[in-house]
This record gives sequence, C-alpha cells and structure tokens, in this order.
Amino acid sequence: MSQMNTKTRIVIARLIPVMMAAVALLVGTPAHAAVPGITGLSPTPTFTLSAEANFISQPDGSMVYSWGYGCLVTPSGFAPAAISGASCSSMQIPGPTLIVQVGDSVSVTLTNHLPAAAGNTSILFPGFQVTTSGGSAGLLTQEATHGGSVTYTFTATTPGTRAYYSGTQGDLQVEMGLYGAIVVIPASTPAGCRAAGGTLPDGQTDFRLAGAAYDHPATCYDREYLFQFSEMDPKIHQQAEAIANCASGPGITCPNSMNTVATENYHPAYYMINGRSMPDDMDPNYAAEYPHQPYNGNPHMHPGELVLLRIIGQGRWQHPFHEHGNHVRILARDGNLIVSSTDPSKLAGPLLFTTTTTPGLAMDGIFYWTGKGLNWDVYGHGYPGDPSVCIPDANGYYTTDPLAPNYYEWCADHNKALEKAPFGQVASGGPVTLPDANILTNGAWYGGSPYLGPDATIRATGPTGTTPPSGTVANPPGSEAGFAFMWHSHNEREITTNNIFPGGMLMMMLVDPQAFPIDESF
Amino acid sequence: MRKLHQMGVSLLLGGLVTGVASAQSFRVQCPTTTPLHSTAATPAVPNPVGGSIKCQQISGGDGLATMGDGTQTYIFSFGPLSGLNDIASGLPGTEPAKVFNTPFDPGAAAGTFASNGAVGLTTDPEVSSDPLCQPTNLNPHPDYCTTGLTGHVDPRQIMDVGVMNGNIPAPMMAIDEDDEFFLTLTNVGMIMRPDLFEQHTVHFHGYPNASSFYDGVPDASVAINIGGSFTYYYLAPDAGTYFWHCHITPPEHLQMGMVGQLYVRPRQNRVSGISLYDGLQAQQVDLRTKCGTDILCSSPLPPVNSVPHALNKSGSPTLYAYNDGDGSTAYDVEYPIQIHGFDPSFHFVGMTFNPEQFVDMKDKYFLLNGRSYPDTVKTDTYVDVGASTGNSAFVGQPRVSNAIYTQDVDGVARPSQPLPTVINIPVGGKALLRISDLDVTEYQTLASLGIPMHVIGVNARLLRDLAGNNLAYDSNSVTLAGGESIDVILDATDPKYIAGNTYYLYTPNLDHLSNDAENFGGLMTEVHICNSVDAVKACH
Repeated sequence: MSQMNTKTRIVIARLIPVMMAAVALLVGTPAHAAVPGITGLSPTPTFTLSAEANFISQPDGSMVYSWGYGCLVTPSGFAPAAISGASCSSMQIPGPTLIVQVGDSVSVTLTNHLPAAAGNTSILFPGFQVTTSGGSAGLLTQEATHGGSVTYTFTATTPGTRAYYSGTQGDLQVEMGLYGAIVVIPASTPAGCRAAGGTLPDGQTDFRLAGAAYDHPATCYDREYLFQFSEMDPKIHQQAEAIANCASGPGITCPNSMNTVATENYHPAYYMINGRSMPDDMDPNYAAEYPHQPYNGNPHMHPGELVLLRIIGQGRWQHPFHEHGNHVRILARDGNLIVSSTDPSKLAGPLLFTTTTTPGLAMDGIFYWTGKGLNWDVYGHGYPGDPSVCIPDANGYYTTDPLAPNYYEWCADHNKALEKAPFGQVASGGPVTLPDANILTNGAWYGGSPYLGPDATIRATGPTGTTPPSGTVANPPGSEAGFAFMWHSHNEREITTNNIFPGGMLMMMLVDPQAFPIDESF
Repeated sequence: MRKLHQMGVSLLLGGLVTGVASAQSFRVQCPTTTPLHSTAATPAVPNPVGGSIKCQQISGGDGLATMGDGTQTYIFSFGPLSGLNDIASGLPGTEPAKVFNTPFDPGAAAGTFASNGAVGLTTDPEVSSDPLCQPTNLNPHPDYCTTGLTGHVDPRQIMDVGVMNGNIPAPMMAIDEDDEFFLTLTNVGMIMRPDLFEQHTVHFHGYPNASSFYDGVPDASVAINIGGSFTYYYLAPDAGTYFWHCHITPPEHLQMGMVGQLYVRPRQNRVSGISLYDGLQAQQVDLRTKCGTDILCSSPLPPVNSVPHALNKSGSPTLYAYNDGDGSTAYDVEYPIQIHGFDPSFHFVGMTFNPEQFVDMKDKYFLLNGRSYPDTVKTDTYVDVGASTGNSAFVGQPRVSNAIYTQDVDGVARPSQPLPTVINIPVGGKALLRISDLDVTEYQTLASLGIPMHVIGVNARLLRDLAGNNLAYDSNSVTLAGGESIDVILDATDPKYIAGNTYYLYTPNLDHLSNDAENFGGLMTEVHICNSVDAVKACH
C-alpha cells in the first residue's frame, strides 16, 4: 500500500483482492465499531447457540473452512441499541458477544452441528461457576455430542470482559474458530460516571454498553471497543475440511475423528482481530461481505474521550498489540479490577503502550488522546483575527463548551505556532519549517496537514493557492481530517495476510475533530 | 562477490548522480532559539523553562553488518549524520544545538564540536537575501544571518557519508524532559537496491499524545522520499525508555534493521537544593506535569520522604530513570540494550530483487544492540588506518571507534555496529538496563545469572500505582515482544559482588543462544564488577 516497486510486482496478482478490498473501504464512508453483541432478558438471559462449520473470508481472496459459534435462534436483543442492522448468523467468528448484567443467571444452550467427525464440542466460561445439564461427560465440562445439546448455567457475579471458548480438543476447535467474548455490565453506574444511553455531552450518540467498566468511579468511559486476537494456520483448516467432506466408498475409509489433523508444527498465515484481517476489519459491523465475521475493529474517538479497550487473546500465540498515540491504563485482567493495596479507590494496573494479548486472557484498559504536551496548537489557532478561545479547567483542558470545535483542547498550547514562516491562515513564528510537499508521499489516512480537523487543514493549506492533498481518501482533509494512528501487532510479521503486506492484525484508529460526528451505527 | 562488488561501485556512482540532481531537498533544522527556549542556554545559565534544544541528523538507507559467525549481512538501515564521534564511542548521537550547528569535520579531534556536528552543514549562499537578515528587518536578526548556517547542506557530503553507512542498532537518541528535539531524517536511498524507491520515516514509539503528523506512520502521515529530508519536532515526553524505528512496511524494514534506541531522562536529574520528593511535588504546580486525576498519570507522588539528590559512585549528581520522588530509580551507570533478531534468509532475499516471504520468517541471529555473542563483549578500538591515504576523509567517519566495521561492496569498511553490550558496574553500584525489543517474529527472554533484575519500569513508565505504592519487583528474567521496553536495575550494592567478578545476561530461549549454524553465541553478554567505570563505561 505504501509502496509499489519491483520487489512487490511479483505479488501484485495476489495483492489484487487486498487492493480491491482497500478500494471498497476507501470509497465507502468510514465505518466504526463499538462493542456489538447479543442480549437476553435480565435477570435470566438465555442464549441458544450452535456450533457449526462455514467459510470465513480473508483479504487475499481465500475462503477458509472454519468452525464457529452462532445463534441457533434469534436472540432476544442486540446491543448497543444504537447500532442498527444487527444480526447473528448460525455460525460466526468470533462467536456472538454475550452481553449480560451483573447478577444475571445466564443460561447458554449449545447444539453441536459440527461435522460428525469433529465429535463432541463444548464451551468453557472461565471466571464463572458453571453448572451443566444434558450432554455427555467430557474432560473439562459436559459436552454436546454430534447433533446433541448441552446447557451451561452460571451467575454473572462480577463485571468485566472475559473469553469463552471450546473446552473440547481445544488445540483444534479453538484454532478452527470456536471462541467468543462475554461482557458483564456493572449493576449500577458509579458516582461521577454518566449512565449509558442517550447522548454524550456534545450531543452525539452514545454507543456504550454501560456507564463504567466496573463498580468503580475510576472506570468511567465515553466509548468502547472490543479486540479479539487470533491466528490461523490454513493447513489445519484444510485437513479438517478434507475429513469433514470425506465420502466413504469402495476402497475409501473415512476417518471417524479429527485426531489425524496435525495441529503441531503450527505455522499460521492469517492474523486476525475480531475474525477479520486488515483491511476487512475496518469495514462496518455486520457488513454483508462477511456474513460469518460480523464484528469489525475500527476505533474512532474525539479528543479527551475516555475509551475503554476490551482486549482478549483467543488464539494460541501472544501478540504485542501496540496502541499508537498514547499509553493505556490497564484496569483489569479477566474481570478482576486491579486496585491499590493501600487505597482501593486508586487504580494499580500498569501503563502500557503495548498490551500483550495472551491466550485465554482478557484485559480492560482506558486510553485517551488530547494532544497535551506537543508544544504546538494542533488546531492551528493564533492567526490574526482568530476568534477561538481556550479557557483551561482544573486539568488544563477547554471543557466549558462541549459544542466548541476545540472542546478538550490542551489550553497551554493554545495559539502556539508550529510553523516558523507565515503560510496560510495559521499561527507563525513557531519552531519548524515544513518541507516541500513534493519530497513526501502522502498516506491514505493522512489528514492533509499537520493540523487536526478540516477547518485547520483548509486554513493551513488553502488560502495560498495550494489545496489539501488528494489521495488521502480514508480520512478526507475537507471533511474529517482526523489524526490517524496505527493500532497493530508489533510482532510485525503479523501485520501480513498470508505473505501479503499490509494485512493481518492492523487497523487505523482515528482521533476525529470534535466537529466530526462519530456514528458507530454502520 | 566480485560481481557484486563491481555492481555496487557502479550503483554508488549512479546514486551520487541522483543525489546531486535532487540536492535542493536535503536540509537540516536546528534553531539556536525557539519560542520555548528563547535564549541559547549554557550549562552555567540553564534555560528557565528547563531543557534545551537538541538536534540530530540520520540517514535512511542501507549497509552491511557483521554477524557473530562472521557473515556479512545486508541491512536496510539508518546511519549517523551527526554526533558521529559520540556514536563511535557508544554514546547517543543527540547533540545540543551549538554542537549540531558546527559543521562536521572528519579530521576534528575527538570530542570537539566539529567531531559531532551535522554532516553537510555549510553556509547558505542565499542567506544574504533572506528577508529576516535585511537591514529593513528592525527585529533582532537570527543567528544564521551572521553564521550563514540556515540548515542548508552540501548534498555531496551527505551522500559521501550517508550512503552505505547504516548502523544496527540505528543511531541512539537521548533527550531530557523539557528539551525540544529536532530530528532530521535524510533519505539517501538504498544503493544496493536501486530497484526500490523506498520512503522512510521515524516512529517515536510510545510518544504520549503524539500528533499523527510526527508519528511516522506513512499511512497516517507523510513519508520521506529518496533525496529528501524531513525534520521531526518533539517536545520531550515523560521520562522513560522508548525506542524508534522506521514504519514503512514494518515487517520488512524492521526485520531488515531499521530499529534504534531512544530514551528520555527525567526532570528529577535537575533537582537541586531540595529533596527529590519536593522536586516531584513542584512538578504538580505545572498542569503539564501535574498528576491530578489523570488516569494516565506517569509519576504519582510516593509516600512523603526526604531523600536528597546525592552524588553517585563517580562523584557526580546521581541520575534517575524516572521522576520517582524517592530515589528508587537511582543508578550509577546506564546501558541501553536493544533485543532484535535477523532471519538470514530474509536478509539474503532482501539483497536480491525478489519478494520476501513473511509467513516463513524465522530469526536465526539473536542480537543485543545489533551484535551476537561473542561480539557483544567486543570492545576493541578500531583505528582507521586508511585515514592517511584519504580513505577516512572519503568515508567521513571518526578515525577511532569502538564500532564493529564491515567492509561494504565498494571495498570501504564502515562502522556498522557501534554498540557493545558489556555491562560494567562499579563495585557497590547500580546499573540501569534500558531494555527494548524490536524483534518482528517472536517473544524473547533475557535472564540474569547472578545479579537479580530489579524491574522498575515497563513501557517507559514507572511501576507505581496511583496511590504512590512502589510496584517494582525482583526477577531473574524479563520477557519482551517486539514493541516493548522494560527498565531493569542490576543492583550490585551487596558486598558479595566484588570487583573482578563476571556474571552473564543470556536468553533461556536456548535455541536463541546460537549464531545461525553455530551452536554457541546469540543473545548473551557479560556483566563485570569493576573498581570504577569511566565516562565511556570502560572497566577499571
């Protein structure tokens, strides 16, 4: 994407699907994310799930035979309510995100529609005290036999983000896609947090599931995203598919189990976030192109918003998830809030710029971006006649007017010039000289200038006759002009899709100017 | 090799022609004053806001490096275009504006400004027509009106020094909190791969509240074409061990070697006359450094204490890794250690004109600061014998260096791996290991045999909860993925660690104790207890 040269020519043919997907992404309106999932009727939500086989789409054009959990019957509800067009197919990867309330008695009935050779299957809910009914005894839990069912019941005792996944022949079944997430919402909104629903202070739609991640005022948030990391070795999937499709006949004896599938010499080629590889992960939730991969990975936020990251390792490898733009305060591991041993009102989780995902481990963290400390005004204020104001609150941010285009500006840098020489309609007298644009190559997510937002970008580039650069279509300078940051696995080999760069565990996060509405509903 | 050699020379000439043709776009930026640092600070008269202006210039290109088994390996790489003498001595190449703005002279005595100045910097023939230098400008004229040093460079010198001068790790950077840092990346092209017109960038990994413009992600910003220079501008962020790398096609450019070290020293090093606690308390007055209710607060106040800013083992004011407010991150000597891995097959394909494969990437050289054991403990001083024949003047490198030199395809040996990883600790002292990892394929573990690892920070942040409790812990190993950093103190204050003792840092990933086919080497180095350790970290 960032280059086109001899080295890549040979793989161009293989890149075409990626490029087509990228183009599809680029010409569409940017999609967003939130934490979509299915709900039941509190206090006794029931979920009727199926485990079955189908094909998931990868951006190299391949359709990979996989197994996933899905909804056998339509769930009683979808959340967040503000996302329309939600659906739950009978097989999806990751499995449906189960959204329940603290104290709910959760009942999950699983029916095994996997191929007969796959044998039994099951679900583990680590972190909960599970009782079972039906099914047949397995090593770790009761299992659903081929065509049969089993029911798991547990009380959602504590809030937080956790994983669920197959407890049967996990080396194969989890690899094949039998995993998902469960989000438990706190019983009430802690003091100082805003309850979910309705609108944010700036009047924009609230897409949260809850007012806080935990029963703790330090866990308030304004926006949330779920990231499930997994990888796939296509050879395992091919072997499983061959057995599933095997037809007995004269001289042909089909295996009656998947035990011959070689799950060692593990050699993944696909690295996915929420079941999709880049750029597919930046397409909308429930996009029609991915009937079995409904969830995306495409965070957007406004400056100053507290963004809850729910991160789960669902594969068998660890992945160093690097969040460009700022550090993340880890709140909790596997639903266990980490607080100070001497003062439980204070958080004690580490600050990380790389949040390692570990198989089976879920963590919650808070991220935000404000531009504090850059020593220049990212809004390009400070030109003659500039009407903008920045009145610092106790923390130094402009929070008086949630409708102002510079809501949450870091006031100490207000009017501080970046550029030395006068150019366009931004402050001058600053420290740097920007280079001639002709020696640079613009990225697809480049906002068009060093500044945040279309107003500043047009002022910084427009009045002198130049215009914002073209080709930055994923973050248009004239309408969005956000600050884009790459969120990706820092074991960089994993930002490829079956040898093709870019791909894999990679997405762009957008800090959008306050004036740009973030609509997660598509 | 002969054919390759000839090809390299012809490519070199071609590259020079290209470089000259696009010369106008090379330039550096290093103002002597800015709105924040409005006076040129001196050690005697520090700037009232703290910090100062620091500058550095790097090339983006390629080169060759020498692996532990003697193999010459092709790398995409950054090389020094300022601070050359300091880098040859294993020090950061970040220089105060005054030093950077002294044009580099390869013949200058070690330690002089000219030995560390910007390569290519020369007087601007057009300075007299600069509007700010005209008599009609009644404001104070900028310094460059008299010096002529506007940032204009002679591209020939840039190409002479920059082509093939790649280092692994890339030139080290170190700044102090409140510094303004002007970092110029000059893309000299990859002469071994003329088919590529690769852009390069700098990603300052971990910079909090980054602007995407200076974040170095080509998709989200701009990338620097061959023949161009771009100056990144940063106000030094919160203290800690960060690192930097190119962000173009990361699985390729990072594997190929475009990775470097970067750390920020804390404001606490400047505390004087008051306790460290009071020093940190004073930071709460400025909203920029105040903790308040910020959920991302990096330095919560510890329990009240009166620990002073005492002197260290060498009699100078103690340095700290973080603004700890209690002295808990004090050290006597610091060692940046970058973990990396090279896949020789990928590097070989990378030198040819074929597409590399990512799925099969498998590291077989395991590197500490670009070297495998036993090269990690090699501290020989290299004296450039070619200097008298003009060779040194052509290459433009310091005559005396601790680097490993690798002969490039044009027959010229250039410094490729400037940084040994010998940990010399003064007896009774503490060493800070600033460990970062930029491996692109797998997690690596580094263990200490003998001296426990006291882990004080992760990901450039002090291990401390928001109530001020110290969460540092002791361990005998640390594990990192690419994209992580950890600060470890090797505490040798116990009298059982006596001068002359040797300990080891090594990887318990035992298959990483190898240099490709050699079953001995890899991710390993030595720790020495010394009677004293001097300014260039030599053991006495």
